[in-house]
Amino acid sequence: MAGNKGRGRAAYTFNIEAVGFGRGEKLPDVVLKPPPLFPDTDYKPVPLKTGESEDYMLALKQELRETMKRKPYFIEKSEEKPDIERYSKKYMQVYKEEWIPDWRRLPREMMPRKKCRKAGPKLKNAKGTDKGSSLINTADILKKIEELEKRGEGEKSDEENEETEGSKEKNKDGDDDNDDDNAEQEDYDEEEQEEENDYINSYFEDGDDFGADSDDNMDEATY
Amino acid sequence: MTQAEIKLCSLLLQEHFGEIVEKIGVHLIKTGSQPLRVIVHDTGTSLDQVKKALCVLIQHNLVIYQVHKRGVVEYEAQCSRVLRMLRFPRYIYTTKALYGDTGELIVEELLLNGKMTMSAVVKKVADRLTDTMEDGKTMDYAEVSNTFVQLADTRFVQRCPMVHAPENSDTGPPPPAPSLVVNEKDMYLVPKLSLIGKGKRRRSSDEDAAGEPKAKKPKRTTDNKEPTPDDGIYWQTNLDRFHQHFRDQAIVNAVANRMDQTSSEIVRAMLRMSEVTTSSDAPFTQPLSSNEIFRSLPVGYNISKQVLDQYLTLLADDPLEFVGKSGDSGGGMYVINFHKALASLATATLESVIQERFGSRCARIFRLVLQKKHLEQKQVEDFAMIPAKEAKDMLYKMLSENFISLQEIPKTPDHAPSRTFYLYTVNVLSAARMLLHRCYKSVTNLIERRQFETKENKRLLEKSQRVEAIIASVQATGAEEAQLQEIEEMITAPERQQLETLKRNVNKLDASEIQVDETIFLLESYIESTMKKQ
Repeated sequence: MAGNKGRGRAAYTFNIEAVGFGRGEKLPDVVLKPPPLFPDTDYKPVPLKTGESEDYMLALKQELRETMKRKPYFIEKSEEKPDIERYSKKYMQVYKEEWIPDWRRLPREMMPRKKCRKAGPKLKNAKGTDKGSSLINTADILKKIEELEKRGEGEKSDEENEETEGSKEKNKDGDDDNDDDNAEQEDYDEEEQEEENDYINSYFEDGDDFGADSDDNMDEATY
Repeated sequence: MTQAEIKLCSLLLQEHFGEIVEKIGVHLIKTGSQPLRVIVHDTGTSLDQVKKALCVLIQHNLVIYQVHKRGVVEYEAQCSRVLRMLRFPRYIYTTKALYGDTGELIVEELLLNGKMTMSAVVKKVADRLTDTMEDGKTMDYAEVSNTFVQLADTRFVQRCPMVHAPENSDTGPPPPAPSLVVNEKDMYLVPKLSLIGKGKRRRSSDEDAAGEPKAKKPKRTTDNKEPTPDDGIYWQTNLDRFHQHFRDQAIVNAVANRMDQTSSEIVRAMLRMSEVTTSSDAPFTQPLSSNEIFRSLPVGYNISKQVLDQYLTLLADDPLEFVGKSGDSGGGMYVINFHKALASLATATLESVIQERFGSRCARIFRLVLQKKHLEQKQVEDFAMIPAKEAKDMLYKMLSENFISLQEIPKTPDHAPSRTFYLYTVNVLSAARMLLHRCYKSVTNLIERRQFETKENKRLLEKSQRVEAIIASVQATGAEEAQLQEIEEMITAPERQQLETLKRNVNKLDASEIQVDETIFLLESYIESTMKKQ
């Protein structure tokens, strides 16, 4: 069979007739380019389902998309200031309702540091108002003291004074405590980051290089 | 996670939560679970923004966290949950069909906010319903909470895992993250709340017209201050329950199409009976005796016990095996075989895709191979009664598109083609996977096209929004007809035409997204049920 085809012609390792080409029939050309981006379809697609429920779901979908944009969960990029302040922009602005996540359900590191100081007194105030009436309730105070003791900052003497001084002082103290904690946390973070940053940076640089290399290889392979 | 799925997740996140959340979310999907500091470093986003984005993702149950050794908290994206955002309209619509407008709004609020306390949901829904009512009427909190209780009883909503408070809290500093525990017993237990009050009317329609000037920001935070009795008990939608409902609905419809309305009613009754007793991922329902089925048929459905037995025998004899007979006691015990039902539905989907893409003759070949399991090329040509050359063409086309697979069986160890059997078969599972992948790609393309269309016409859309806002504000001040017309003419006729075309296109793209998702649901359920069986 090979002799039949002559030299230089691709000799097949199998019987072409088995695949359905008759003897001497022309084989299809080799395809050297990728298929078209939008190929013609032999059959037209069937029309979409229509009906009341479909229409309603469509409306729901579009409404949902718009509503989502107005929710506080939608975080926009801080866009650069446009060169011309548009008058109409003032009217296009969307007011979003505030969203305070339930910090009890989130890891502690999620608390924004700056906000903590701002939100701290707010929260405390909220507690303060509902505790205001029950301040006489010594159980609450004892609880609070216990809590403070747990922190073990060696401020016991201060706290004992507080017991008599009322809630205002305590709130302040609590804030200070928080701040201290935060400061500590920050220090700690920075230290660790410094240590590990070096390592990570170098690691990822390598990674990048590797990625680029492999890309090159792929290109070569396609040609 | 395939590239197509990641791309789709990225588009969905971007549309619902903005670019920053999308960046963090996609990063987590691509890399698996990671601690906060690494995310910040790798994405090059500021710490505050990463935190915010993670908060949003956790709130919407799209990311979960876990404390690892040395107190490092790692965050992990729930990719399948992200893809469910595509199905939100269907969840909402289903609840509307089952529980009316109140149920619809409850589920919508839960989906929009991820998780909420019951009191917050009830208040919000009552307010929203009051808004739509005519003047002087208000929605009672009690009514909304009744619907909420119904939804919890039928398990469409469930509690989120609760924060587990450590009992002996005197052991060192508080943990870096709260531990969340699921209490199976309380999952659907509604807290006893005495919610008294009525929905409040908003002053103006400040939510439905974004372009409208708003004088005052609604101060809703004030009434949030007072602590609610169900503080800390959060609710979310139970998507698995919704999927169970969709699946049951699909089975009932399939039976109705295959046999008749009566048999579908019987199957519906069987499904309803086992709704509570069977878990949503069980392959079969509990066996039901024909006497039980007879008793639970809807009242007014006049069929005698004999006719019912005949129907049940017919259903059990059906080659698709939606209904199986599991015993003879109690007048015959019957089960519904979910796995078989989903497999038939998936196969039917494959068949119809082939029919619409390659024509009915290809579909004939496909069905033939499906039925005979393994066929040689010659046999396909003969059995399908299609001229050899055309049959080959079709077969190869389907082979190259991966709907049909080829099995080689060599007679000799050298795999020489001349001494090898080539058998064509259909591997339904892998074909379903392939089709599912294509569905994800299609939805991605649809969304991208829609975004492109809107971007192209951004200026026009903004203009029409502005004009609408002006008209609304002028109308509020009581302007004359002529004046209004003048403002309306600010949009020229060709512009109006362009807007209409745009709207039609966007609607079509949106509707396609919803309908592709129906196929996605079917294929996913089939794949999931097959994987569980193995």
